[in-house]
Amino acid sequence: MGIVIAVISGKGGVGKTTTTANVGLGIAMNEKRCVVVDFDIGQRNLDMILGLENRVVYDMVQVMDEEVGLKQALIKSKISPNLFFLAASQTKDKSVLESKKILKLINSLRDEFDFVILDAPAGIESGYEHTIEFADRAIIVVNPEVSSIRDADRAIGILDSKSQKVKDGEEVLKYLIINRINPKMVQSGEMLSSEDILEILSIPLVGKIPEDKGIIDASNQGKPIILDTNSAAGRAYSRISARLCGEQIAMENIELPDSSLMQKIKEMFQ
Amino acid sequence: MFSFFGKKSSAKTAKDRLTIAIMSDRKNTTAFPFMEDMKREIIEVVKKYMGVKAIEIKKEIEDGVEALSIDVQLEGK
Repeated sequence: MGIVIAVISGKGGVGKTTTTANVGLGIAMNEKRCVVVDFDIGQRNLDMILGLENRVVYDMVQVMDEEVGLKQALIKSKISPNLFFLAASQTKDKSVLESKKILKLINSLRDEFDFVILDAPAGIESGYEHTIEFADRAIIVVNPEVSSIRDADRAIGILDSKSQKVKDGEEVLKYLIINRINPKMVQSGEMLSSEDILEILSIPLVGKIPEDKGIIDASNQGKPIILDTNSAAGRAYSRISARLCGEQIAMENIELPDSSLMQKIKEMFQ
Repeated sequence: MFSFFGKKSSAKTAKDRLTIAIMSDRKNTTAFPFMEDMKREIIEVVKKYMGVKAIEIKKEIEDGVEALSIDVQLEGK
């Protein structure tokens, strides 16, 4: 039985889809069978981040409506033989989602894969509620910025009241990812630190990702940044993926000044 | 380095503002988790007995007193 993880954020544009793509690929690279599902009906994007947009023939709504079989709709990644992708419908809207059909789809994915990663739509409307409904765990993506953190708290509140697991008296395990950290701004007191954010949201941290220009380049090319071992964000995603697979890796402190005294003196004269 | 000049860092301001905003968000959702269901039921009951144009249900806090106000706009003849 695979583990179902919903990737949520509340606010849009904080890196939810990028996180889904990288974590999904990272888990697959850890020798686990992984499927990533785009639940953002009408705003399909995960296909582009994974570089699979030209291979989408069928979508998850067609699978739920039993127009096509699951095996026909699943797209195998060229990057990792363990990674599969199920596209969102681009022509329909969120109202097509029905709990019964979603549960059936998720259960058949659970049977096939070790990890089922669901990319939730932004906001806290019905599309979001349907994504978290049958999730065992949730990855919450935030940016160190007030609106992202406040919206994430609302999304967590809904997760804790509307998911099936909670209704059954169990708990949905939560993992916080702080994305787009600018270490210099944290040091100068212009950006919330990860300690501040953890104190406010009080959910466990699974990783910190520094702001990285390479993310845009990676999405331009449809090659998730985790493949770039020279990139700080890519390495952060590798560590997060390993942690999600159960490895114990000490939390990095990317907010500390990484420069030596000599570098600092050099910077002063620049 | 604003702290050198005795000015509060903006991260600290953000943390303080967020803490208060989130506390009040949480209070509003956890104190009345049944609010949406109750609203729907009240609307159904009222509609059963009279022609209704609009119903608005609000929770208000004024001077420390919490009140539930229900405004029913009846259908005009």
